[in-house]
Amino acid sequence: MAYAYLFKYIIIGDTGVGKSCLLLQFTDKRFQPVHDLTIGVEFGARMITIDGKQIKLQIWDTAGQESFRSITRSYYRGAAGALLVYDITRRDTFNHLTTWLEDARQHSNSNMVIMLIGNKSDLESRREVKKEEGEAFAREHGLIFMETSAKTASNVEEAFINTAKEIYEKIQEGVFDINNEANGIKIGPQHAATNATHTGNQGGQQAGGGCC
Amino acid sequence: MFGRSRSWVGGGHGRSSRNIHSLDHLKYLYHVLTKNTTVTEQNRNLLVETIRSITEILIWGDQNDSSVFDFFLEKNMFVFFLNILRQKSGRYVCVQLLQTLNILFENIGHETSLYYLLSNNYVNSIIVHKFDFSDEEIMAYYISFLKTLSLKLNKHTVHFFYNEHTNDFALYTEAIKFFNHPESMVRIAVRTITLNVYKVDNQAMLHYIRDKTAVPYFSNLVWFIGSHVIELDNCVQTDEEHRNRGKLSDLVAEHLDHLHYLNDILIIRCDFLNDVLTEHLLDSLFLPLYVHSLEHPDKGGERPKISLPVSLYLLSQVFLIIHHAPLVNSLAEVILNGDLSQTFGKTEQDVQRSAKPGVRGFVKPTETLERSLEINKHKGRRRQQRRPNYKNLGEEEEEERPPAPAPTPTPEEPEDADKARAPEGGPKGVKASGDSEEIEMVIMERSKLELAAGPTLQEQNTTDEEKSAAGGLDGPPWSRPFLDMVHHALDSPEDDYHALFVLCLLYAMSHNRGMDPEKLRRVQLPVPNEAEKTAYNHLLAESLIRIMGSAAQPDAKIRLATLELSCLLLRQQVVTGEGCIIKDVHLACLEGAREESVHLLRHFYKGEEIFLDMFEDEYRSMTMKPMNVEYLMMDASILLPPTGTPLTGIDFLKRLPCGDVEKTRRAIRVLFMLRALSLQLRGEPETQLPLTREEDLIRTDDVLDLNNSDLMACTVITKDGGLVQRFLAVDIYQMSLVEPDVARLGWGVVKFAGLLQDMQVTGVEDDSRALHITVHRPASSPHSRPFPILQATFVFSDHIRCIIAKQRLAKGRIQARRVKMQRIAALLDLPPQPATEVLGFGLAASAPTQHLPFRFYEHGRRGCSDPTVQRSVFASVDKVPGFAVAQCVSSSAASSPSPPSASGSASGSSTPSATHSPSDDPLATPPPSSLTEPPDPCRTPPRAPPEPGLAPSLTPAPQPPISLLCAPAADALSLDALTLVLPVDPCSLRSLTSGPPGDTPENAPGDPAGDTPSTGLQLQEPVQP
Repeated sequence: MAYAYLFKYIIIGDTGVGKSCLLLQFTDKRFQPVHDLTIGVEFGARMITIDGKQIKLQIWDTAGQESFRSITRSYYRGAAGALLVYDITRRDTFNHLTTWLEDARQHSNSNMVIMLIGNKSDLESRREVKKEEGEAFAREHGLIFMETSAKTASNVEEAFINTAKEIYEKIQEGVFDINNEANGIKIGPQHAATNATHTGNQGGQQAGGGCC
Repeated sequence: MFGRSRSWVGGGHGRSSRNIHSLDHLKYLYHVLTKNTTVTEQNRNLLVETIRSITEILIWGDQNDSSVFDFFLEKNMFVFFLNILRQKSGRYVCVQLLQTLNILFENIGHETSLYYLLSNNYVNSIIVHKFDFSDEEIMAYYISFLKTLSLKLNKHTVHFFYNEHTNDFALYTEAIKFFNHPESMVRIAVRTITLNVYKVDNQAMLHYIRDKTAVPYFSNLVWFIGSHVIELDNCVQTDEEHRNRGKLSDLVAEHLDHLHYLNDILIIRCDFLNDVLTEHLLDSLFLPLYVHSLEHPDKGGERPKISLPVSLYLLSQVFLIIHHAPLVNSLAEVILNGDLSQTFGKTEQDVQRSAKPGVRGFVKPTETLERSLEINKHKGRRRQQRRPNYKNLGEEEEEERPPAPAPTPTPEEPEDADKARAPEGGPKGVKASGDSEEIEMVIMERSKLELAAGPTLQEQNTTDEEKSAAGGLDGPPWSRPFLDMVHHALDSPEDDYHALFVLCLLYAMSHNRGMDPEKLRRVQLPVPNEAEKTAYNHLLAESLIRIMGSAAQPDAKIRLATLELSCLLLRQQVVTGEGCIIKDVHLACLEGAREESVHLLRHFYKGEEIFLDMFEDEYRSMTMKPMNVEYLMMDASILLPPTGTPLTGIDFLKRLPCGDVEKTRRAIRVLFMLRALSLQLRGEPETQLPLTREEDLIRTDDVLDLNNSDLMACTVITKDGGLVQRFLAVDIYQMSLVEPDVARLGWGVVKFAGLLQDMQVTGVEDDSRALHITVHRPASSPHSRPFPILQATFVFSDHIRCIIAKQRLAKGRIQARRVKMQRIAALLDLPPQPATEVLGFGLAASAPTQHLPFRFYEHGRRGCSDPTVQRSVFASVDKVPGFAVAQCVSSSAASSPSPPSASGSASGSSTPSATHSPSDDPLATPPPSSLTEPPDPCRTPPRAPPEPGLAPSLTPAPQPPISLLCAPAADALSLDALTLVLPVDPCSLRSLTSGPPGDTPENAPGDPAGDTPSTGLQLQEPVQP
């Protein structure tokens, strides 16, 4: 149970793009996706390993709460990573990305890692948004991009783990203030002892940055 | 964790061999449950997997086969869940059960299935189950479970959760106990749950909420918010060298979260709940803590208090976010009309006799929320065992313990820390709160009346209005303490620290939708979008103009945000539906400020390439991202004293400039803002900005007449390997790739058009016939990067053509930039610059100009619907290149043969619109003055073009003599206005008062200011020779 870090994620995007399914697919493999069962969840946690460190991911789906402004803005603020999901078979969900992204940038802390996800890549025949379009959007806005399928589990692991890697790298670079839990990052209980050295490093890096 | 059990299950059951989604399988699982009613170490994994599989089948059943549900209910399988839960079966099983419940309620689609699941109160038993909330994961799953349930609440389902007879509403009461949980995600979930509950239209339930829970919940919530505010203030007070910024921005964001949450409650419009909330907010937070702190810092004594800037800042946030009329009106009433010192001075004596119910003042609740809820609930009911939460978990003796003397609702800090900090930060009252030493305050009689009865308020207002109308415009309103403070803060042009907050608060109050416009009108505060405005607040307007004047000074301490806000407020004051009601004398002062800004920028104007990019970039970012006051007030960095260094990471608009580049950028912005304001107030259109207008550009799919154009055939190989044949053409601003139009010979369809100024051309090493060309699009938003819209290799038929193309593009790029630089010069009323000096490239560049017959397209050449019009336009245009070149040959260093640039550079008075519009093509008239006098380096006079060349509309019309220094009786001019001329530098002061003939630049007839009636500049006309 002990972990080095805990990263909090949120999942955002239009309704029906498969956010909760992606979440369940990632956090609990025992629920096997089959054709006659659509199943998702609003919260999940899972342990992953990056760089030999145990990292716990806590993922909160914000679905159904969009009508309350206070709720969305708080969610954004409390997260270290966000998965911005659209449905490749529905053009409108892609068109709404800008709005979602503006919201996210406005409310989140500037270091939040955002991954763009084109979901339902298994439904190739009904595709309305080309992969290149997703890539271009991601490139223009500085996001990581991936097409996934919650049904076939394709790329689901990668989406969540790559986001975590990015966050982890930012921690290593000293970009995130890890002692501030408002950033959506928490240092694990077991890690607290070694934390002293870590902050030492970080301080050094910051000082280094200051003189240039 | 889940991964581990998966492999275990996989082997045991042979998922593939049997259809797991079936009634039969559910029956089998039921069998497993009956065999394993007791949780042991051995069957734990089996049970977990069984529970999980049941969920899966139920969801499948909901979507495919309802008989599954019947079986589940028939066998009462929920009881097994509860049974397992109650066995203290450990974390593993607990988490699995909670996940199951989450999934179950999240995925159930059919209403009937949901009713079945909720029907026999098992869910409520699970809600009140004592989980181990110290476990992070259990807490998270538990609160998600409650949140999922709350999302299912509606008129019908609410009966399953709220029991009218027993006054039980576990879902709500259990949830709000975590309102101050240290984990932010938990707090957010609690707020979601409460909002989802308030949203349900069920009177009985809402009455229960109000009668039994509202007071404890809201008073705790308000205290919680207030504690954050005091912490925030501490953070500002103790800051050194901006070191607290990180923490400060969290605290500000937290405060915003609170306000948004309060607003979300208020906009549900549950009236009687709102009344309780409004009362609590006003009496226990906004008035005693925020408004109280507006009072002079020396007064006020022992009560908790925050500093003036923080209080202004927070009040602005309140007015920007909350629009609930009763709340904002009462608050504004006290702020605007209250005699702050009296109001609060009185309290000392009144403390003793104010025995009103409900405590007024920022006071800590005497008991925890949990305790209060319990007491409320137990009024007339049997006592129940208290359930632990994350705070008291493991305290077995809690049952009999009295409530802790001062149980702390603050989440992050233990109480001791709170107490320890209190003395140094000033809020001494905080620590006393646990005891009986409560600080109380009396709100002004009037505002109390207001809270109680609306109708009387109306009468009061009218009488007040009449009184103030009778008392004259400038007298009474400004005698109020708050307004005095406003005036004082705006009046210190040396430092805009306070001024920015004051402006924000004024803006926020006047833009508040819930605000009664009468209130604002009484103090002559600007009401936006008001149809008929006849008067405005002169003193405020003068303060605003004074800020603008100072902002245009070289070493001004006015931040751009302050300036922009001042412009916004002035606009709001004087612009009405019909026009502008600004007094001439004020407009004159504003013109003075605008002139100053022109001076300021002229000082920075350099012939460097980067100046153009900066100029255009500033324009783009200003028009694309207009000031959003709400966003501005979300930024914690303005709470710290203004700084100039970008090392803080503070946005440029919210700090002072650092270094020459930033000073230039700032000067550009100041000019843009004041120019736009002045044009608007004078009712004139902007004709010179932006430098290139979208409508002047060639776009993809335009059809152009390319007869006589220089076209170069080439093969365009894009990055992804695409290969097309195109003709390359170079226009004044753009390069375009065209393909022949099948309909008309000699015409071409534009397939790509990109700005020459944003283009890069490089040769290809191993191919002398090829060029790499990249065209970037300027960043469209601050977050996106410059994006290449074209990245391709152009292959020409031979290396000669390749070299020609390269030269043409390079020259075109320089030329395009030069044209624009000249436009800027015109905007600044600078004399036309010698072409060779403009861009810092010398002979090499100017020599070949003669034999480079660039093809410059006129705006009107784009294919449009009427062919006859086209023809006639083109007929004249087609003469251009030859003609222009011929002219240019004679003057060796002609800057530009192109009509727009020539006229643009020759005279500051001719506007781009005049040269661009097809209707009055300057070239249709035989040798127009603009072409005969391309700036010659040898003889360019440092003066504006001769007067005769001006259009009649541009020559100043004689005006009646008005002097700023002897205020006309018609303008009810306050004495303060006279001081407005002072900040202007002596030189321009002279130009305003005496207008010496030699003072060319600002007096140039082409000055856009010069051609409007009744402006400041006209004032000088009579004295000119």
